[in-house]
Amino acid sequence: MNTSLLIFGLIALPLVASPFVYLLGRSSVRKGTFLGMSFAKMLTVMVILLEGVLLLFTAREWIGLTSTYTTIGTTLIGFDGISLILGVIVLILGFCVTIFSFPYMEDEDGEEKFYALLLALIGSIVGLGMAQDLFNLWVWFEVMAISSYFLVAFYHDQPASLEAGFKYLTQSAVGSALALFGIALLFAKTGSVYIPDFGQTLQSNEPFVLIGGALIIIGFGVKAALAPLHTWLPDAHSQAPSGISAMLSGIVIEAGLVAMLRVISFMNGKDSNWGIILLVFGCINILIGNLLALRQTEVKRLLAYSSIAQVGYMLVGFGVSFYSQSITGAAGGYFHMLTHALMKGLAFLAAGSFLFVLHIAKGSHSPLVLDDLNGASKKYPLVALLFSIALLGLGGLPPMAGFMSKWQILLATAGEKSGGMIAVVVFVALNSILSLGYYAPIINRMYRHEQSETVAAGAKVTSWMVVPMVILTVCILLLGVWPTLASFMTNNAAATLLYPFGV
Amino acid sequence: MSLILVLIIIGVPWFGAALILLDRDRHDKLQHSLAVLFALAAAAAAILLTTHASKESVLVLAAGTVFGDFTFVPDGLGVFLTLIATIIGSLAVIFSINYMHGEKGLGRYYAYVLFFIGAMSGLVLTSNMLLMFFFWEITALCSYGLISFHNDDPKAVRGGLKALIITSVGGVGLLTGALLLYVYSSSFDYNILLADPSVIPSKILALLAFFFLVAAAAKSAQFPFQTWLPDAMEAPSPISALIHAATMVNAGVYLLARFFPAFEGVAYWKEAVMAVGVLSALLAAIMALFANDFKRVLAYSTVSQLGYMVYAVGAGSVLASQFHLFSHSIFKALLFLGAGAVIHSIGTRDMTKMGGVGKAMPFVKWVFIIGALALAGIPILNGFWSKEMILEAGHATGAPVLYWIMVFVAGLTALYTIRMVWMVFYGEPRSDYHAHKVGVAMKIALAPLAAAALTSWLVIGSFTKLLGEESLPYHAIESLSLSGMFHEVVSLPTLIPLAVILLGILCWIFREKLTGIGKLFGWLRWLADHSFGFEAINSGLVSAAQSSAEGLRVTQTGILGWNILGILSTIIVLFTLFAIGA
Repeated sequence: MNTSLLIFGLIALPLVASPFVYLLGRSSVRKGTFLGMSFAKMLTVMVILLEGVLLLFTAREWIGLTSTYTTIGTTLIGFDGISLILGVIVLILGFCVTIFSFPYMEDEDGEEKFYALLLALIGSIVGLGMAQDLFNLWVWFEVMAISSYFLVAFYHDQPASLEAGFKYLTQSAVGSALALFGIALLFAKTGSVYIPDFGQTLQSNEPFVLIGGALIIIGFGVKAALAPLHTWLPDAHSQAPSGISAMLSGIVIEAGLVAMLRVISFMNGKDSNWGIILLVFGCINILIGNLLALRQTEVKRLLAYSSIAQVGYMLVGFGVSFYSQSITGAAGGYFHMLTHALMKGLAFLAAGSFLFVLHIAKGSHSPLVLDDLNGASKKYPLVALLFSIALLGLGGLPPMAGFMSKWQILLATAGEKSGGMIAVVVFVALNSILSLGYYAPIINRMYRHEQSETVAAGAKVTSWMVVPMVILTVCILLLGVWPTLASFMTNNAAATLLYPFGV
Repeated sequence: MSLILVLIIIGVPWFGAALILLDRDRHDKLQHSLAVLFALAAAAAAILLTTHASKESVLVLAAGTVFGDFTFVPDGLGVFLTLIATIIGSLAVIFSINYMHGEKGLGRYYAYVLFFIGAMSGLVLTSNMLLMFFFWEITALCSYGLISFHNDDPKAVRGGLKALIITSVGGVGLLTGALLLYVYSSSFDYNILLADPSVIPSKILALLAFFFLVAAAAKSAQFPFQTWLPDAMEAPSPISALIHAATMVNAGVYLLARFFPAFEGVAYWKEAVMAVGVLSALLAAIMALFANDFKRVLAYSTVSQLGYMVYAVGAGSVLASQFHLFSHSIFKALLFLGAGAVIHSIGTRDMTKMGGVGKAMPFVKWVFIIGALALAGIPILNGFWSKEMILEAGHATGAPVLYWIMVFVAGLTALYTIRMVWMVFYGEPRSDYHAHKVGVAMKIALAPLAAAALTSWLVIGSFTKLLGEESLPYHAIESLSLSGMFHEVVSLPTLIPLAVILLGILCWIFREKLTGIGKLFGWLRWLADHSFGFEAINSGLVSAAQSSAEGLRVTQTGILGWNILGILSTIIVLFTLFAIGA
């Protein structure tokens, strides 16, 4: 099949389908029927599945060829290892979130906009993965950001939601502006925005390049929740509808990280130590994320803070990889992106299920707090079990996938053979244990015999919500005992990232 | 054949765990039966495996350079520990039929127990460091889940979390060591290291040795990590017997024993191991002397006896330490199950409220006494032979102070043991309790353990052959026959520890006359009650974490202006760093 056609299809499909989904849904709202909405939902699922098929074909083409670049106008796009892993993560998570949202967003005000925006979000992330020129990367990044602004502030009659959305919008805009300045400075140095043309031009210590790189890190880093740029995250991830929280924590912040890394990877050379910067940010993220989560009583806010820590693990992996110019760290970082998306996605979907049956189905907009979960396992055994698996996996316990991805990152770190790196290994491992201090008590609460009043009054949970969670759990347990299943994707993504080194 | 057996030992309990969970607590009897069935299947496979022990790996799954080859080697050390894990596991499950009768959440209980049995077996049967760490963490997970089984009891939840966190902190030592092993030897297989320790630079080898010591000390509740085990007694007694006496806590001793050939050359390592063992043995024995909680005494006693095993490894005798592990698993499981029977019947763990239980529960009294005699090291029970072998090994190292402390601790052991037996089973009831006779399942679990406590020392010949050169090529464990052991143990130096043990027993019998001396040691009682300051360290660390977390909350101001200032100040900091650095 013609590669250009496939790539074009990958980009166009979700974005073109998005307005159709909206129109179909809107027609049902205006006419007061439900048929249009159901068609809209089915169309969303079909588009995601079709996108997955396209991704499969494109990947097969890419394996055979060396270059899959194509231009649309003057924009360069191309499929590579990073596009593959980003595409796989966003489609799996998007599929599960869509199905989960069918009952969750039922009869919500503005439901028809939800699926359209979700498709646009998915499409923009797929596009971001394939962007091969600096400006286009930033454009996709903005499309992703804009789709997510509306999704975060979805409950537009809730003041907390609006506040979260507004803070997210403003801080993200600051980040985007800084990123654009950085891109401009780098363009001044390279003379071209096409990433494959950069070669070694950015591997210098000139002031423009250094400032440009710093602006890139901070600019994209706001979206990637680097500490101390993370302050928007707890509000946004906890106020968004739970499916969107899953998408945000699982792939949107990682997309910001991917964009940053694509650019920084060309700036790393023998004399540059961008890796150390990422490593330091990573360690700060891990510590701050864990400590702040320790005192949380709201479940979704706790999970949001833990996302900050989990991004820290990825940063450590990538930082080590850039520092040592070997692929194990980056492969571990990408692997952790995958496992984190699965586990945090599962955690948010499970928390969302509880939020739905305990609060939303009763018409209440109060947040889910830890006390609400007391004794939940008797009434909701499957959701409690799946939530426990997600939490233990996030804490890095086997046989869940998080154990294996953390192992790979720490292996790469130890591979540096230096005392400082061994200290980093011990630091990261101890923080992983610290995180158990807030993950494990939730499990203890759920398995009490004494039910909280909210649980006793809770509604029934539907299979639309359970099936996506089971899918994610199976993936987590499978990767936990057979980690090499993902090696093809992660190793290729890492190789693509470190291509500028000739690795 | 070995391959199938290994797969059964690890896989069948795991399969059983999933199956029991699927029942969703609808059929009690089915869950009990399935658990016993799967546990016994694993035990049968383990027994068969002892005849197939070899140093050849039976299962190799290539998993690339990051995760190593998943190998399993049924060598003597692994097979022996698997045997203990599965057999005592089966007995604990059988005991649970009575103990957990009528409890809610049986599915979760049995699933955790079976998951644990499979993981423990996997831990000792694998030669890949990643897998060892994988199974190590799973045992920690199961231990946490079972200690905090009664989630409504905050003490149980705290105990579970404490055990999880402390053993995981130790696990960091195992993790870092495993990573360093790979980084320097390009292999995850520890046999490469055991064959030739010089494959790793000596500084790194020393680092490895001490990291592994930390991991072992945390897992086996040794100094300075001993505080989690007493609090783990909130677990149901079959769990205390299985996990916190017979199997999981032995994982640390296993680690030291396994890696002994590689680390014995590291400067000061053996001395450090002996010191850890001696300190644990001494401090725990003192704390056991003053404790009034039935299971807490046994927990301290476990720490103390593990101290003996660790001391033996440090003294250079892996055989003595493993032999004592063997005896201890049997008699400590016996003691815990017996205590469990008493506690289940009476409803309290407080020994000051017991007394005269022996009249109401004669069967339990007699099996418990057998276990107690083994613990105290009275001839001819299994504890006597193994403890004397350890003391012999210690005597031969030429570190006299440590040796005499261990002899003294043997006397303390006898003292707190007889105190415990007396307070519970003899005398007059000190409170209004109701004690009924034990159920059949409990008797079925207790009887074989009592018989084994009397006789397990007879198999020393096969034991040393199992651990010998055929299957453990790097450990140099020589064959020892029954008569050989006789000659070694029944000799003049043994009389001294025996005399000290007798002295300990006499101290209790004549305690009325010794109250004066008892008062002199009031300060010791105070120290023991406050666990020699270690609990204070623990709570200090926890409150430090909590208060730094609380203090950090000011950074989340909720005010947009501050948030944006955060972004901009990061830029400025980065620019400044570049200006200075570049």
